[in-house]
Amino acid sequence: MSRRAAGWVLAIALLLVLGSLAWWWQRGSGGGRAGRRSAAAGEAGAGPTERHAFDLYFPAGGGGLRAERRELQVSESPKDRIRKVLEALLAGPAAATAAATTAATPTPGASAAAPGADAGLVRPFPPEVKLGSVELSADGTAFVDLRWPDHEDPPESGSTEEIQRVYCLVDSVALNVPQVNRVVLLWNGTQRITFAGHLDTSRPLLPDRTLLAP
Amino acid sequence: LRVTELHRPVFLATLLLALPFLLSAQIGRPEAPPRGPVVVLDGRELPVPVTISPGGPLFALRPLVESLGGGLSGEDTGESFNLKIEATEVVTGIGNAIITVGEEIVSLSQPPVRGQGGPQVPLDFLRKTYGAVSGYSFDWRPEDSRLIISRRESREIKVTLDVVHLQGMTTVVLQFPETPRYRLNQQPGSVEVQLLADRLAPPVRKRVEDSLVQDVTFSPQQVRIQLVPDAEVESYLLDNPFRLVFDVHRKSAAPVSIGSSAAAFDLRSSTRTIVIDPGHGGTETGAIGPGGIAEKELTLVLARDLEARLSQRLPVRVVLTRTDDSKLPLDNRTAVANQNKADLFISIHLNSSLGSGAHGAETYFLSSQASDTRAENAAASENVGGTAGAGTAGDAGQENQDLQMLLWDLAQSHHLAESQRFAGLVQAELNQALELRDRGVKQAPFRVLMGAAMPAVLVELGFISNPDEEAKLQNPAYRANLVEALVRAIGRYLEPPQADRRSTPPLPPTQGAVRSNPGSPTPP
Repeated sequence: MSRRAAGWVLAIALLLVLGSLAWWWQRGSGGGRAGRRSAAAGEAGAGPTERHAFDLYFPAGGGGLRAERRELQVSESPKDRIRKVLEALLAGPAAATAAATTAATPTPGASAAAPGADAGLVRPFPPEVKLGSVELSADGTAFVDLRWPDHEDPPESGSTEEIQRVYCLVDSVALNVPQVNRVVLLWNGTQRITFAGHLDTSRPLLPDRTLLAP
Repeated sequence: LRVTELHRPVFLATLLLALPFLLSAQIGRPEAPPRGPVVVLDGRELPVPVTISPGGPLFALRPLVESLGGGLSGEDTGESFNLKIEATEVVTGIGNAIITVGEEIVSLSQPPVRGQGGPQVPLDFLRKTYGAVSGYSFDWRPEDSRLIISRRESREIKVTLDVVHLQGMTTVVLQFPETPRYRLNQQPGSVEVQLLADRLAPPVRKRVEDSLVQDVTFSPQQVRIQLVPDAEVESYLLDNPFRLVFDVHRKSAAPVSIGSSAAAFDLRSSTRTIVIDPGHGGTETGAIGPGGIAEKELTLVLARDLEARLSQRLPVRVVLTRTDDSKLPLDNRTAVANQNKADLFISIHLNSSLGSGAHGAETYFLSSQASDTRAENAAASENVGGTAGAGTAGDAGQENQDLQMLLWDLAQSHHLAESQRFAGLVQAELNQALELRDRGVKQAPFRVLMGAAMPAVLVELGFISNPDEEAKLQNPAYRANLVEALVRAIGRYLEPPQADRRSTPPLPPTQGAVRSNPGSPTPP
């Protein structure tokens, strides 16, 4: 065997060894790590982000919803956009134009507007209510989970207040994210027949433009 | 020396080639004695990779699907994958503890992850999918890390029977302590309730003496209701506890057409039944006014006043869904109306809003979208069941429930026009009698209106979130005006419908879930 041929044999053997090690790493203990990375990459925030304008539909005085235009830093991912829109909605109206608006119902669920909120616009839920999981199915159904620690039920309210709470979420998501055509709301991880004794929330909800003030 | 130099690379290559085998042998040896988790199906070990995580074991789904049946798609790519078990679709997101099983959204103890063997799922995923749909049981034994999978043994379910005959109709009620999986077979002259997975513990045999029901017989797998030849039956479900209800009547006595209100009026008895539903109750306070008044208290007061005035003024029988401060599920409220064969259902509420300035009364009836969506869902489920093989054991119970829901919704859609007419009368009377802002007739997918098999409205008699209206609502004279307005609206509705019908044009198809009546000058 010539020196040149022996060199080729050594190179091929090295490649085989490296390939085997890589396969073993992928299949074995390293695979789990790779999987977790993949799952994490699928979460919101994947990819480059950009400033994008959204209409957030806040509860308004008189019983309807009114849009507030807001620029949010989002990626191309629909889930990221759903999440950012809802987080901004739950945080309340922007602090640009000051007005002391408060919820009319002094129940535990009553929620003051964010400090310095736009006149007439109201934060839909108490500040302790946070956004949990967000999921988007292939058929355009967004699953939105709201979490309020230590509160089994959503805030008690009349029907108009419940409609404002539910549809500010549904409209803000479905009218801003084209991939969403209907929304399923969860409360502390479970779907409820109703949030406050009126609206049927046991099924996906379609957006409702009739609630939007002109 | 030259030979040795030439063969040195070959020697090194041989050594390197052997290295992986040496490594794997070295790595594999210490793992061998303590065996890893094992999955056993019917005494046979399955090659299912299992990961023990802090939240509990995670099982590779793909090999389980191959053994238990079903179809898995999209598991290699994307953020979510689909699992089809019989006719039920399970949508699961990697890293998300919320999944959907059919139309149900289900929470998991921990989210599925990607791992060895593809997606790995927690134990409750298996129980809530294969367990719920196909009847498998999953017994995890942590002491020896074994998952034992087996077909769940059938349960013995006690059933109680009630047969009541009243005013020409017989009602047969089968009550179960828990929801069974069953199929309903309806044939001319009989109805059979066939259990799919469980066994019946029949009640003590008692003779049925009835002019419409010849006999009710029980076997471990079915209940058979034998009717007289000219009888027909309508069935529906009630919850808490689970009941199957069969209304049996003679064919000639059946309503001609639900959609033809004039004909229906002719066939009704002279005494109409009005069911009044005081909104909320018990721990469900409803809205609370700035002065501390709870909606549930005022709705009960108003409902009692309305009951008293209706009984004095009109030839009606009045039934209240609740007469005290008790919590009543929404579905039970319409069930009360259905059981009483009500001609009208009125749910009384007081309103609240976020933001200031809302005031006035408004009257809702069910949005057709709500009715249509539920009907479509039910029809879709039924179609799936039909194409996948009628009588598939796993979803037959659900299919039957969907069919029941479809029937309810179809019936309700026939009542929408009448509900709208009645809502218009209520709103008109409230506007005329009171100095309230007319917020108009609206439609919404309100749960309490969904199961009603008669015209049904929900009336909001003012905003207790508004301090002025809260104060007014505490005034008995003001409440009496409200009640009078409702009595007049009910009286007008129960008159022959021609005159009032002309004044209330039908709504065009609903675009939104919550909408105002066209022509109403008020914003939503």
